[in-house]
Amino acid sequence: MQQGRTMQPYRRFSNLTQLAAGLCVFAATALLLDSGGLYSWAQSLDLGPERAVALPAATLLHNALAGLGIERERQLALASLARIGWTDDPGAMVIVNAPPTPHETAAIQKRGSAAGVVKGPNPPMNISVPQPKHPVQLPLSGAPPLNSTLPAIPAVIAGHQRTVALAGDSMMAVGLSSTILRQSSHYKSLSFISVFKSGTGLARPEVFDWQTAYPAMLKHAKPDVILVAIGANDGQGFVDGGVTYPFGTEGWQSVYQERVEAYLQMLQADGAKVIWIGLPPMKSDGYNKKIALVNRIHYTVVSASPNAVWYSTGGTVGDTTGQFRDFGQIGNHAVRLRQSDGIHLSDDGASLIVEKLLPWLAKEDESTVKALTASAAGNEPAKPLLK
Amino acid sequence: MLFPTVEYALFFLIVLACSWALAPRLTAHKLFLLIASYLFYGFWSWQFVPLLIAVSLFAFLIAKGIQRTNDELKRKWLLGSGIAACLLVLAYYKYISFLMLSVLDFWSLFGHTPQWNPPAPLLPLGISFFMFHAISLMFDVYRRKLRVSLNALDALLYIAFFPQLIAGPILRASRFIPQLARSPNPRRIRINRAFLLILAGLFKKVILSNTLSERLVEPVFAAPANYHAGDVLLAVYGYAAQIYCDFSGYTDIAIGCALLLGYHFPSNFNAPYTATNPQDFWQRWHISLSSWLRDYLYIPLGGSRSGTTRTYLNLMITMLLGGLWHGASWTFVIWGGLQGLYLVVHRLWTRIPSSDLQNFRASIAWRWTSRLLMFHAVCAGWVFFRAPSFELAMNIFRQLGSLGAVTLAAAPALIALLLGIFGQYAPLVWRRGLESGMSRIPVAVNGAALAVGIVAIELLGPRGVAPFIYFRF
Repeated sequence: MQQGRTMQPYRRFSNLTQLAAGLCVFAATALLLDSGGLYSWAQSLDLGPERAVALPAATLLHNALAGLGIERERQLALASLARIGWTDDPGAMVIVNAPPTPHETAAIQKRGSAAGVVKGPNPPMNISVPQPKHPVQLPLSGAPPLNSTLPAIPAVIAGHQRTVALAGDSMMAVGLSSTILRQSSHYKSLSFISVFKSGTGLARPEVFDWQTAYPAMLKHAKPDVILVAIGANDGQGFVDGGVTYPFGTEGWQSVYQERVEAYLQMLQADGAKVIWIGLPPMKSDGYNKKIALVNRIHYTVVSASPNAVWYSTGGTVGDTTGQFRDFGQIGNHAVRLRQSDGIHLSDDGASLIVEKLLPWLAKEDESTVKALTASAAGNEPAKPLLK
Repeated sequence: MLFPTVEYALFFLIVLACSWALAPRLTAHKLFLLIASYLFYGFWSWQFVPLLIAVSLFAFLIAKGIQRTNDELKRKWLLGSGIAACLLVLAYYKYISFLMLSVLDFWSLFGHTPQWNPPAPLLPLGISFFMFHAISLMFDVYRRKLRVSLNALDALLYIAFFPQLIAGPILRASRFIPQLARSPNPRRIRINRAFLLILAGLFKKVILSNTLSERLVEPVFAAPANYHAGDVLLAVYGYAAQIYCDFSGYTDIAIGCALLLGYHFPSNFNAPYTATNPQDFWQRWHISLSSWLRDYLYIPLGGSRSGTTRTYLNLMITMLLGGLWHGASWTFVIWGGLQGLYLVVHRLWTRIPSSDLQNFRASIAWRWTSRLLMFHAVCAGWVFFRAPSFELAMNIFRQLGSLGAVTLAAAPALIALLLGIFGQYAPLVWRRGLESGMSRIPVAVNGAALAVGIVAIELLGPRGVAPFIYFRF
């Protein structure tokens, strides 16, 4: 298979001058074609010297090349890929749903008439996203409790399913979501949809904007309950309206709280109940302090919302004082509770959290259950409890 | 700093320019590459840079000690203690958590909740790979394969050289350190091959591996009970394609970058899913690891020199330890055990003295049948390799018997799957033809083509860069 026929000899080696020429042309072409990508990358950098150098340079380049229209073509290509189903990336789907610029409209119509496929952008998603009109700064709560009590919620009506959305960043993606989905087969009254994305958060909407991405990811689904675990990437400063907010400053806390409120309101837009899973203690001391502040802000916002429930994880996967621990116990077995990065939950750690949540969410209407049990006892053909 | 990122592109272009500018001054050139390598590693975590330097210096001192003496007993003692120290460090970081868990589990058997809360150490990135290099350095000096007089700079650079630092390919000291004896030749750079390798590596990682991971592998391996046979089979094949594309993509980029810097790395993959038997597979898959295990473990154990039974035992030990090297988990042990078993069964099969059977083995029908069998045997091993637990691996196999709707067979996943597996059947002559065609075009034009290719890959690949699978080993 690997033999093939004999090749004519060819020039294998080049010299340094050719290498220099090749790389210069490579760099020039890449910058010309992908100035938009470079700009997005520079925007996504954490506050610091790297960003301070990269962002002005990338912005300058991006603006200088804007007249060539290459970036618009790039965006159209991304949108086309999303339309044909090549990508289910929320960023690309947002582009599909965004109102087109006049140039894009013209380009789309021109292409559509030529190819006979695309007549215009898809209608925007029919989900209203309320924005905080007059954000009122809530006084920052103390640290969240180590353990939470789950309040009573309406039982699932027999024969119906409760739709549960799994939302958040890598804190949901790693450990939690897979454990929940793995256990979901035991809870026929629950159905799940995934609306999480690793490497995101609430601190940097210019990098990943949940306000636009979430409706695109949700498509037309209407969850009854949303389990949220988010914030692992939020221990960083950001720029808002040209003002730099270093992490933890009063200004940062204020803007970040607004962003958390906006996210929570968006999740609740269709009347869904939100269960906010607090961030667990982290292994690194410095990082843990940052996450403790993020957690306090989340707790402050969630506690103020009547339709949201705070669910603490510190007492479950932390030690008796809520500090980080690697190992715990399930039944008579010692287990590792966290991934080796000291941040995310292991499957075993996640199962400790999930073991209370899923039965609580799946609890069925007792009267219906009793009626069906009685009917089964009377040798009548049992109706399916759930679809 | 992952390879498919702007950060790495910028870092590499700067390092490339400076390294060639310093090439006429050999010591400055190597010192610069060494500092750049530590910077590269420091981008992940500065915390472990001292460990990398300490291990490298230790291996150098031991190797130098071995080189300086002709006393065989002292040489053996130095080698033994050097390897033991490296393995102890490796064991501490890779296996101490497993040991702690076992101790805690033992306590739990008596119904006590252990109050002991030991912190498990964080795993330094690429520790297995730089330990392999440290051991290779000491071993090659001991075996007198490295004939040049070793100096600290060469030893440190050999272990830390950034293109291979995190996930290989595993270089042999005897083959790489001689390359450091002189400056790379500015008139003998394989630019076109390097461009092709970098582009192929990015394509395999960013488009094929990431697409397969997101659309097939992750959903099914997270909750196999939610899927039926068709989806599970797609995910199993998908993981076979994903791990190949992911790992070979990484090594393609590493080899390409090294070529541009003027250094030669060995090949690490050679169309492994075209293998017709387990021995053939291990000559094609992660070649630098399998040959390392052969030369530094299997042969020192006695190899095939001490009779049939001992050969089988050596094969099993080598593959079990190879499995355990991936991590302290029973799934890796089972994976290694399966590979050992495949090798033993294949040896038994080839020893059956029957002329009819020999004729049958030489037939084209058997070649394709054995390819199919080998591929599925490898896939069965991958299930244990990928599954987080034995129970989940068994769930995967169980679900293969559950008939129902196929929900994951979307076009992008199927295209990535077909390319990831059947792309390996592309004749080598095609790649050589491509390189030959590129050699007739000015390098500058090839540079522009590389840029267009990379932008296309960025558009076609899923957003965000998932870490390479082998980073965690």
